[in-house]
Amino acid sequence: MSAYTVPLFLRGEVITDDLVSFGTRSGGSEFEAPDMTKYVDRLPLRSPMEMADLYDVGFDEILDVLQALGDALVFDTNPHLQEAYEAALFANPLPADMLKNSYQILQPLFSRDAVRELADTQVGLDHLNGWVPQKMSDGRELRVRAFGSRVLHIPAGNGGLVSAVTILRSVITRCDTIIKAPSNDPLTAVAIARTLADVAPDHPITKHLVVAYWKGGDVAVEEALYRPEHIEKIVAWGGLASVKHVTRYIQPGLEMIALDPKRSATIIGAEAFSDETTMREVASRAAVDIGVANQEGCANARVIYVMSGTDPAGIDNANRLGELIYEELVKLPAFISTPPLYPNRELLEHVESSRMTDDWYRVIGGEQKEGAVIVSQFDSAVDYSAMLSGRVANIVPVDSIDKVTEAVNAYTQTIGIYPESLKRELRDRLPLFGAQRLTSLGYACNVAIAMPQDAIEPIRRMCKWIVEEECDPDVVIPLWRLGEVAHESAVQLAQV
Amino acid sequence: MRVTQSVEQFMNDPIAFFGESLTQMHSIPRDELEELQRQAMGIRFKEHRESIEILRKLTDRLTITELNEFDDVVPLLFSHTAFKSYPAALIDNKRFDLMTQWLNKVTSHDLSHVDTEGINSIDEWIDRLDETTPLEVITSSGTTGTLSIIPKDKDSATQGMILWRMCLFQTFGKEPTPEELNPVVEVIWPNFASGKLGHLRIASMLKKSFTGGDESKFHPLYTDAIDTDLMFLASKMRAAASRGELDRLVIDPALTARKDEFIAMQLRQPEELAAFFERLTTELRGRRVFMIGTYNLMYDIAKAGLDRGIKDVFAKDSAILTGGGAKGFVLPDNYMDVIREFLGVDKIQEGYGFSEQNAFHWACDEGRYHVQPWVIPFVLHPDTSEPLPRKGVQVGRAAVYDVLNKSHWGGVISGDEVTIDWDLECPCGRTSVAFEHEIMRYSEKQGVDDDRITCAATQEVHNEAVNFMKEFES
Repeated sequence: MSAYTVPLFLRGEVITDDLVSFGTRSGGSEFEAPDMTKYVDRLPLRSPMEMADLYDVGFDEILDVLQALGDALVFDTNPHLQEAYEAALFANPLPADMLKNSYQILQPLFSRDAVRELADTQVGLDHLNGWVPQKMSDGRELRVRAFGSRVLHIPAGNGGLVSAVTILRSVITRCDTIIKAPSNDPLTAVAIARTLADVAPDHPITKHLVVAYWKGGDVAVEEALYRPEHIEKIVAWGGLASVKHVTRYIQPGLEMIALDPKRSATIIGAEAFSDETTMREVASRAAVDIGVANQEGCANARVIYVMSGTDPAGIDNANRLGELIYEELVKLPAFISTPPLYPNRELLEHVESSRMTDDWYRVIGGEQKEGAVIVSQFDSAVDYSAMLSGRVANIVPVDSIDKVTEAVNAYTQTIGIYPESLKRELRDRLPLFGAQRLTSLGYACNVAIAMPQDAIEPIRRMCKWIVEEECDPDVVIPLWRLGEVAHESAVQLAQV
Repeated sequence: MRVTQSVEQFMNDPIAFFGESLTQMHSIPRDELEELQRQAMGIRFKEHRESIEILRKLTDRLTITELNEFDDVVPLLFSHTAFKSYPAALIDNKRFDLMTQWLNKVTSHDLSHVDTEGINSIDEWIDRLDETTPLEVITSSGTTGTLSIIPKDKDSATQGMILWRMCLFQTFGKEPTPEELNPVVEVIWPNFASGKLGHLRIASMLKKSFTGGDESKFHPLYTDAIDTDLMFLASKMRAAASRGELDRLVIDPALTARKDEFIAMQLRQPEELAAFFERLTTELRGRRVFMIGTYNLMYDIAKAGLDRGIKDVFAKDSAILTGGGAKGFVLPDNYMDVIREFLGVDKIQEGYGFSEQNAFHWACDEGRYHVQPWVIPFVLHPDTSEPLPRKGVQVGRAAVYDVLNKSHWGGVISGDEVTIDWDLECPCGRTSVAFEHEIMRYSEKQGVDDDRITCAATQEVHNEAVNFMKEFES
């Protein structure tokens, strides 16, 4: 018996025919979705010309539609969102309060001010809505416009935010959008799409949105769809597997925008230990960075480098901070953080072994699988640091600022730093090692939408940057005249 | 007659206890055995609580002072991580003094006298332990950048080899003949000749105890040893790759200095493989042998032989042992038939074990792995590790408490899903509890990579490290 159905949202039409069964990541329960091999031919636009209607829509109208969409995305009254939440309870490892919260934050994202800020800072309203003129030094007149493209999105399934952001980005750039729903959040994108169809039926924005589920890597669907004649760009979030499935289809005419799997780290300066009040504040900030959404995200704190020093007093400080962080971690409210529903067994086995190796590690908490803080008693992270999840963090005391660059590598996304002065000291250095976002401690998972992501500007990349040039032969010296000049010189030479 | 014998003999010298007889070993009535096991567990626990520091600390924390019922031991079962809980940085920094301190807390033997002065590699350290302590540690490599280091000792290795001999050459239901007690066979060893990895340590024992002392009867595929430090590098490589830090991997200069030696060894391998195959099918043809190998290795050799039109290679009464996961290999359904046709022997034996415990559990003709009597098996809930009832059919995570294990704590949880039918009286006649034939790693079941490089992949991993060194230098 299937727990729920994931319909195909096809440009305004909701399809629940030809259902086949799928398992979810947490095992056990199943869901049904239309057999996409039967519909794959209908997913892409028949002709690129069909995108023209998006250019008849003014930006004010886009803002109106999105505002109306946001106003309708109220969890308590929107049956689509409620259904998506019920499905996510089955499919997602996050606890109920946290999932519910991820729907309650959707509405403000779609407000006029938020959308305008996003569009203006991340692309530029002028470029989105018309041709932007520019006079070049060689005299030519250039006009540039950001066109939407035919984009396929493979969003990550951690909470409703990613689906909402995907739709927002697509609408403001006038893209034709196909979203492949994630199995661990199968209904949120559909719910937003259905709400859109409710508030703006038959609107071009609605008609340029498709949300479908198929199993990632299903070649019967992907080989038919991932072709330059159907889509121009694929935005792939999340796991290595999902990105790898996609790379085989990348070719001239079909590019990938990868928002790769990342890990984040934390750096805490010696100032944290100046007095008890400061230490407590630092601890509660760090606890939030560890605990948000149970450390399932890429921005969460995992290894925390602490410039406490490694002499006995420094280790004592690191241990004390570890205790305070643990206290704050388990105190976090349930909509932010809870004991993980599915703790990683292999990780907890390592944690228990570290607990028995007390010459090198001090383990605080963790006996009820509620989360734990492992304080290294020397200046190295635990060897299983790549596994840290489910509210398990590792504090690493270090003597000098040179050692903290170990926190950063090619897979690093966010670095939460305390205090601000240390962040400014490190900001020119950490990016060289791979850091992409430096933020105030406590804000690692408090992410603004209107800024670059993973060291790229994905919304700009979703656009096609088209140039129109106007060259006056009397101003911009044309090649054919260069040719005449050269010919004349040659003739003169021959006559000599 | 056994009733009069002491629990002490059962738990320290089961070979004598059972009169060196496979039949007696697996004919002891279940309730009588369980009483012996319970008492032995309680005694061994008291010894180990004194002599193994990490166990003492765990029992102090859990306030466990004695073990009476089988399930009492469950909170004290170690996972494989207990044997790799040292920081890998200690090896990188060649702090073998601190490594010894760590190991001293994991083993019951006293290592406080071990001098690590001048030791420059893992192999040298293990050699020093071999020379100056009762230990004969084995290693196994993983992907978190560390090696498991399991403090086995020489006594258990010697005992283990006699037990292998009993199980391999005796027939259940018949008392052993003098010849079965001291068989002399050609030993076919399709692997590296030596090394500190668990399965390679066995080689030196086989060389002595299965050949009547004639070492020319030992036929390894490769004449070289697997280098432990190279395996450590391979493990670090995998961990660094998973963290996106391959660029930061530092190769120990002592290892780099031996690069040419490793490359030469790699280059010798195809030649040695050809020579090995040639020896098998000519010089050793028709001989009585002992051969051991994982399913996929046995299959590859058999397939290659049959393709050349070679079959029925060995004497019918040869002893053949296979087992191990087929991880990463897809074997055809008839793989055992292929192996059997090539080897031409009457019987191919299978066994189940894992390196954190000593015992090897041999399959009967019904295909069930009968648990050795000094081992107490458990089936645990796969997630919570709570023990499942010791009755009816139970499927779950395998765990064992091995009372014979003296040099380290004998309670371990595996990563394997097993089935035990506790009420079954196996038609084979053995009275012992048995794991059903179908055993699967949970990680394999869930389709995730796990932190284990199987013995099947030893050569591949070794080569990976050598290739990395080549690239790194160029």
